[in-house]
Amino acid sequence: MARIGVFICHCGENIAATVDCPKSAAALAEHPGVVVSMDYKYMCSDPGQEMIRKAIREHKLTGVVVAACSPRMHETTFRRACAEAGLNPYLCEIANVREQCSWVHSDREKATQKAIEIIRSMVEKVKRNSELQPIHVPVTRRALVIGGGIAGIQTALDIANAGQEVVLVERDLSLGGHMAQLSETFPTLDCSQCILTPRMVEAAQNPKIKLLTYAEVESVSGFIGNFKVKVRLKSRYVDIKKCTGCGACWTKCPARKIPSEFDCGLGNRTAIYTPFPQAVPNKPAIDRNNCIYFQKGKCGACAKICPTQAIDYQMKDEFVELDVGAIVVATGFQVQDTDVYGEYGYGKYPDVITGLQFERMASASGPTGGKILRPSDGKEPQTVVFIQCVGSRDPSKGLRYCSKICCMYTAKHTMLYRHKVHHGESYVFYMDIRAAGKGYDEFTRRAIEEDHACYVRGRVSKIYPQDGKLIVRGVDTLLGKPMEIAADMVVLATAAVAQADAKSFAQIVGIGYDENGFLNEAHPKLRPVETATAGVFLAGACQAPKDIPDSVAQGSAAASKVLALFSKDELEREPVIAKVNEITCAGCWACYLACPFKAIEKKEIRDRAGKLIKRVAYVNPGLCQGCGTCVALCRSNSIDLEGFTEKQIFAEVMGL
Amino acid sequence: MSEEFEPKIIAFVCTYCTYAGADLAGTSRLKYAPNVRMIRLPCTGRISPMFILKALQKGADGILVSGCHPGDCHFTHGNFHARRRWTVFRSLLNFVGIPQERVWFSWISAAEGNKFAETINKMTEEIRKLGPFKQYQQLIEEMETPAKV
Amino acid sequence: MGALEILKDRAKQLLTAGEVKMVIGYGRGSTADRRRAIFISDEAQADKLVLDKSCEDNLAGYLVREGLLQDGKKVAIFLSPAGIRSVNVLAAEDQLNPDQVVILGFEIKGDQVSALDGHHVNGFIELVGQIKKQGLSKDREELIAKLEKMTPPERFEFWRAQFSKCLKCYACRQGCPMCYCRRCIVDRNQPQWINTSPHSMGNFEWNIVRAFHLAGRCVGCGNCERACPVGIPLMLLNQQMAAEVLSAFDHFAGMNSTQEPVLASFKREDPDTFIL
Repeated sequence: MARIGVFICHCGENIAATVDCPKSAAALAEHPGVVVSMDYKYMCSDPGQEMIRKAIREHKLTGVVVAACSPRMHETTFRRACAEAGLNPYLCEIANVREQCSWVHSDREKATQKAIEIIRSMVEKVKRNSELQPIHVPVTRRALVIGGGIAGIQTALDIANAGQEVVLVERDLSLGGHMAQLSETFPTLDCSQCILTPRMVEAAQNPKIKLLTYAEVESVSGFIGNFKVKVRLKSRYVDIKKCTGCGACWTKCPARKIPSEFDCGLGNRTAIYTPFPQAVPNKPAIDRNNCIYFQKGKCGACAKICPTQAIDYQMKDEFVELDVGAIVVATGFQVQDTDVYGEYGYGKYPDVITGLQFERMASASGPTGGKILRPSDGKEPQTVVFIQCVGSRDPSKGLRYCSKICCMYTAKHTMLYRHKVHHGESYVFYMDIRAAGKGYDEFTRRAIEEDHACYVRGRVSKIYPQDGKLIVRGVDTLLGKPMEIAADMVVLATAAVAQADAKSFAQIVGIGYDENGFLNEAHPKLRPVETATAGVFLAGACQAPKDIPDSVAQGSAAASKVLALFSKDELEREPVIAKVNEITCAGCWACYLACPFKAIEKKEIRDRAGKLIKRVAYVNPGLCQGCGTCVALCRSNSIDLEGFTEKQIFAEVMGL
Repeated sequence: MSEEFEPKIIAFVCTYCTYAGADLAGTSRLKYAPNVRMIRLPCTGRISPMFILKALQKGADGILVSGCHPGDCHFTHGNFHARRRWTVFRSLLNFVGIPQERVWFSWISAAEGNKFAETINKMTEEIRKLGPFKQYQQLIEEMETPAKV
Repeated sequence: MGALEILKDRAKQLLTAGEVKMVIGYGRGSTADRRRAIFISDEAQADKLVLDKSCEDNLAGYLVREGLLQDGKKVAIFLSPAGIRSVNVLAAEDQLNPDQVVILGFEIKGDQVSALDGHHVNGFIELVGQIKKQGLSKDREELIAKLEKMTPPERFEFWRAQFSKCLKCYACRQGCPMCYCRRCIVDRNQPQWINTSPHSMGNFEWNIVRAFHLAGRCVGCGNCERACPVGIPLMLLNQQMAAEVLSAFDHFAGMNSTQEPVLASFKREDPDTFIL
């Protein structure tokens, strides 16, 4: 006979405000098989868990239902509590009466009725639960970090410095990411490259880090502790083992007028190039689309000058297969396409630039050598208008969210401008100033008070050229007056958006993303670096727009998660796997064909004489991930999924 | 006067997308009709047509099957199998007179708390208009009536 | 020479030469227009074979009787095109090795019966292709059109009335070559997905599940409907399923012996217009 305990959590007022917990407990006490039913203010607290443990011992419970928050939140907590009292943890189930009941309904009577039904259904399920043992799988102690920006570099270094192996994959030619493009950084105004490049070099030289640049992840299979990853090494047409990075090739290359991606089009590069002088590795690649040799069939200047014969026009993409135990995704962000703001004339008026272009201009190693000069005529602008929230917080252009970094970098831009053009005037059109962070508000105050940035609260409706100036027409909503500024240059704080291929990439790795293409964490508060896929972690702006300190912090956090994973020889996995009834299996192989993990094998059943009697399906427990697709396909119901068996689901539905 | 009819809706959802989306609706305190009861499965691939028949037997006036968008399946392609299965089963149900208006399918991701709440509200409203699934409920009655000797 | 003589000769030759251990064909039944399966392992018995327009039953199901093909020896069998397609389905589902099946093919058109060329199932691929091109059987077109015009409650009532006749005798299952499961789902009682009592709900459940389990597998031989002692138009359900998998997935059951089962495979671009 089943002896089920029901424990209903008030979650303070979170559940109790809408669900009558004592009434629910009383209703469940009457349910067949329930021997104890109680409610308590916080079931997840120590006394709450102790109630459960005590009840298990006193009432010799054979199953526990905790009615509380989502199982995605505290299932582990309560299962552990059960295990401590000697009950197999898989005999504990969670009835979700918070996220899916009390928080979403306001009618107390209906919510209570619903809660009772949810719990009752779960009691019926748990009566059919069986004792399960976790599955042990080995761990490959090697991490894959995807993305070589500051977040990825930090993650890789932290893991490597703890003595574990890392493969760092970067799709561009060099490590560095967006941080390498920045001039100075807020709130300290220290030079971005000065603090970044040593870390890049450190990552490249660390013996525990295998660096794969100009490489992209093609496919990911496997599971936590045991991923198989295929990486495409894109052909550089330069053998980086032979190349010394001497630079003879790019000084000789005749194709010189190619807009540099790194300089956001403000400067030019050659067809054989490194993105920037401090690139790591400092080895060039040939841009096939702009190379005279590839386009016209003759030139070969680079091959002729190369002292080590490193140029190889025949080079093909190569593939490497990696076994890794954990994956950290640090693929970063990109700047929104400014074309959506026709009224600001980006692309039409050369003196309307993006914030990232301003960074390049202000950078000592940038195309203007750090001088602030108008792109149109190379003159020093005397008046600069900065427009914030270009794309961000603007649902009409598709983005509801705040890009987080623009308030701070715009304040920084006004300061950099003032430091370089002492009499220059800067205006900032803003919606709100968001300067939360250590030293951040002080920093914006400094821009306003010491560097005389004029902050205007309002939006700009139009920009048009007149007499060599850009007329910026906007409104000062504090004064309630329209405003016009004749500017020499306009800088747009364009939104930070997800990488264009973020969604397809997420599908390759098998993780979730939000409506904006940013990758999803497992829990917004409590599991900010994990994803819903065990063994895959997030770092940096691929999750949401982030500044450097946040990206670095998350990189370290992801590294610590990876290291915790690598601290064990074996992993315990949930025993939610399929099992076959060999007696009734007809061997039609629907399961075999459909299994996404190729976890089903054909097993031969022989008699004692060795004569084949029949072939049946067999589930490889190491490969099965527990999706249950096979179960729903099996006509004779000969395969079942532990934890979600046919009996359990049947009982759950019939218990409603 | 009789009270307004409250449809009974049973939803079969995958834990990675729609269940998480429903949790998000909760975390965001979105309000929706209390008519839905959720059955959590690991994947839409696990959801068998039998579940629908049993939900009908339990007097469901509406049934929702929901999971990850194509391409987003945590198990890579459980939802593609589910999609084929539902294409076929839905056509069968329709053919035997179980109206398609009562059996709904949706892709709701973990980030779509809004869509979850909207779907439940819309479903509740539309099934309320259809009224109780009397025809099937007559079968239940017949089954539960003791045989006359 | 008539179809019977051609095939009978072939059957005798196969038995005499020891190429097959058995011939499965039609013999006389209990009434003048009734035929029953006969199993011949001696060529002297071959004269018992009958072939006429009454030979409607698909005999393919006998091939998967436990133990018959286990010794690796060949069996010859009288099969109509639907029967040939069911051998393909059974082969694709690994229930038999098609190399062990020697086909004695025939086709009934009106009162006429003709013999088909070929003996291995792979020899009929073109024929099956042509059948697919002809489209689904147009039997009872009027009834189908009438059903489609009905409102769902009317259709429900139509089927409730039909299913109310069901006795749960499972003759439909026993007659179907595709119902080879060692334990049918209806015989599973932990959990009891399908109510086994012959009340309307149980009857609905059984008939829906039976039709669903044949989706993409039914070759339209009609064994089930002929076997039904109370005359439920089961083929209407089967035809609906066949039409659905054909229009949605271009799947026609039994095209060849390695065809992917329609519900165990998928395409990324499968239609999903009904999903919100």
